Amino acid sequence: MSLPTPRRPIAAALLLMLLLCSNSTAHAALAIALNSADGTLSMINSDTYQVTGKASVCKEPHHLMPTPDEQSLIVACAASNQLVFFDPLSGQEQKRIRNISDPYQLGYSPNRKWFVATSLRLDRVDLYDPVDFRLVARLPAPKTPSHMAFDDASEFVFVTLQDSNEVMAINLATRKVAWVMPVAATPAGIVMSPDNRYLLVACMGDGVVEVIDWRTQKSVKKVATGKAAHNLQPKGDRRHFYVSNRTVDGSISLLDTQTMTVVERYEVPGGPDDMIVRADGKELWVTARFARKVQVLDLVSKKLKLSIPVGSSPHGVFFVNHAGLR
Amino acid sequence: MINAFLEAFVDLQGWLLAHLLEPVLLAMGLGSYVEMAFDGIEFFLCGVLQISAAFLLLRPLEALRPIEVWPDRRAVRVDVLYSFLDRLGIIPLLVFALLAPLLTSVDSWLRFNDIIPPQLEDLLPGLEARPMLSFLLYLLILDFAEYWRHRLSHTLRWWWALHAVHHSQRQMTLWTDSRNHLLDDLIGGFWFAVIALLVGVPPGHFIGLLIVVKTIENLSHVNARLSFGRFGELLLVSPRYHRWHHAIELPSGRPYRFGCNFAILFPIWDQLFGTQYRGQEMPPSGIRHGPLPESAAQSGFWEQQWDGLRALAATFLPSRPPAVSAFPSPHQPAAGSAGDDHHY
Repeated sequence: MSLPTPRRPIAAALLLMLLLCSNSTAHAALAIALNSADGTLSMINSDTYQVTGKASVCKEPHHLMPTPDEQSLIVACAASNQLVFFDPLSGQEQKRIRNISDPYQLGYSPNRKWFVATSLRLDRVDLYDPVDFRLVARLPAPKTPSHMAFDDASEFVFVTLQDSNEVMAINLATRKVAWVMPVAATPAGIVMSPDNRYLLVACMGDGVVEVIDWRTQKSVKKVATGKAAHNLQPKGDRRHFYVSNRTVDGSISLLDTQTMTVVERYEVPGGPDDMIVRADGKELWVTARFARKVQVLDLVSKKLKLSIPVGSSPHGVFFVNHAGLR
Repeated sequence: MINAFLEAFVDLQGWLLAHLLEPVLLAMGLGSYVEMAFDGIEFFLCGVLQISAAFLLLRPLEALRPIEVWPDRRAVRVDVLYSFLDRLGIIPLLVFALLAPLLTSVDSWLRFNDIIPPQLEDLLPGLEARPMLSFLLYLLILDFAEYWRHRLSHTLRWWWALHAVHHSQRQMTLWTDSRNHLLDDLIGGFWFAVIALLVGVPPGHFIGLLIVVKTIENLSHVNARLSFGRFGELLLVSPRYHRWHHAIELPSGRPYRFGCNFAILFPIWDQLFGTQYRGQEMPPSGIRHGPLPESAAQSGFWEQQWDGLRALAATFLPSRPPAVSAFPSPHQPAAGSAGDDHHY
């Protein structure tokens, strides 16, 4: 059927708008999960929870993080010595930066002057200029430097040393190790408390989150969260953190940083690891390392809502429509 | 069907981790190794599947179309033990534990000296988006490296002293593939790891690559009248093709001075480097006048390991008595290479 001539541009414009709207809706719904052992990304529609595609990325990608402006999602390709940038809305690859040696965990300093990569396998922390990803300093960090956190002033980067049971502070101005202090067994995830006073360190070996006054380098408290406490993710209210307790039986604890107590606990099987919270606070998505799944926890009913099958050893999940990261 | 199998596999993997290894590792303060343990269980379960598949598919073939029938199969038992130790991860774990710290130190030293080992994907960036092509290419590269490792293990006198354990079996069956001296396994592991480091084999490919290699190796040692035909044997190593590698009497001629048919998967390497022999028969297997005592064909695990070590030590000692060659050759071996007492 042919439309009368005057209506054609209007119809075309309407059609275009419809297409754009549907497209942006689809994009806004994209969740990306990273599968370390497969070297792939699983693309998931976060509204329907359906896996819509899979993309090969590189060898042994570990962790993903958004750039500070969230225009890109960076995948740390440890065995490929690369950083791969993706559009977090469309899932399209944007660029690759090669010769980034064995990146495992990534972080931008809050002042955006430093891009830091840990090399868990090779006992090293690298400091890069985030503008051109030029290596500025390479520091030995035995043993097995894992996750990192920064203070608000970007004076230090704090790195957990998983196998020597320590936290290392690197002065970013001098690019030298400022101090190293012992913590509980097998520290992994580390975050700065919202008031910038304490480091919270998830220690797998002891199943605790150790609270550290980083200015005095004193351990303030050890909060038992669950076996194999591994990682921390802000709830987005500048008060609570979710702590993944990464056993096969698995659980997630909710830590109140004002009282430094666990206020809630949810059963999440499969080795819960990296997490992200929906902007509306209704769901927490978490990669289950030992189950090839992304688990979706309903934060209203406080029950596991569903499991999304992804690839082998999922190690990071992200969507744009997330709660605050502090 | 495949998804259901995969799900059941992962569930079992998780269950074994939760009930066997995870509590122990966490109690010992080795939480960092839980992921590795999970991968180890995958290796173990793949080994169980492989052994089961080999037994269910290849053992009937051996019964139906045997090349040799032995009234007493006791000599085969030790090879079954080797297979279980190898496929279920005991020997690979040992090799990994010994080699990983060394290789990590080397790699770390390289990075601190601003050297990032080049990878295949640096030359062919398109491989990153083509996992199947990447897998096949790495399989080809590793098989090429394995050809040379295998050939050297026959050529160098000291290495042959160890590798002779593999060849000492006169009742060659599907289980013989894993019959190796532990030091030979260690050297093989080192070789594989160095090549993997040099070309950048994706860690995610490791188990898949091993499954392909080990499955073909199981098949190539089978005691069954099986060939892939004239054309098929140009593409893939068959039981007949590999049996000539194990022949107690090798074809004569300079190209076969240290053996023939060294290829593990693809016979093309033998063709290219002049070591291919396309015999039509199914010759008896074993070694004669080799570095090991005759009893090695019948002895147990530890005795074979000890015999291998003694043979290795003997290669470093001066004034060895002249041995008799099973296949006198007008060509003398190069210095440091296996003598003309080399079996075969």
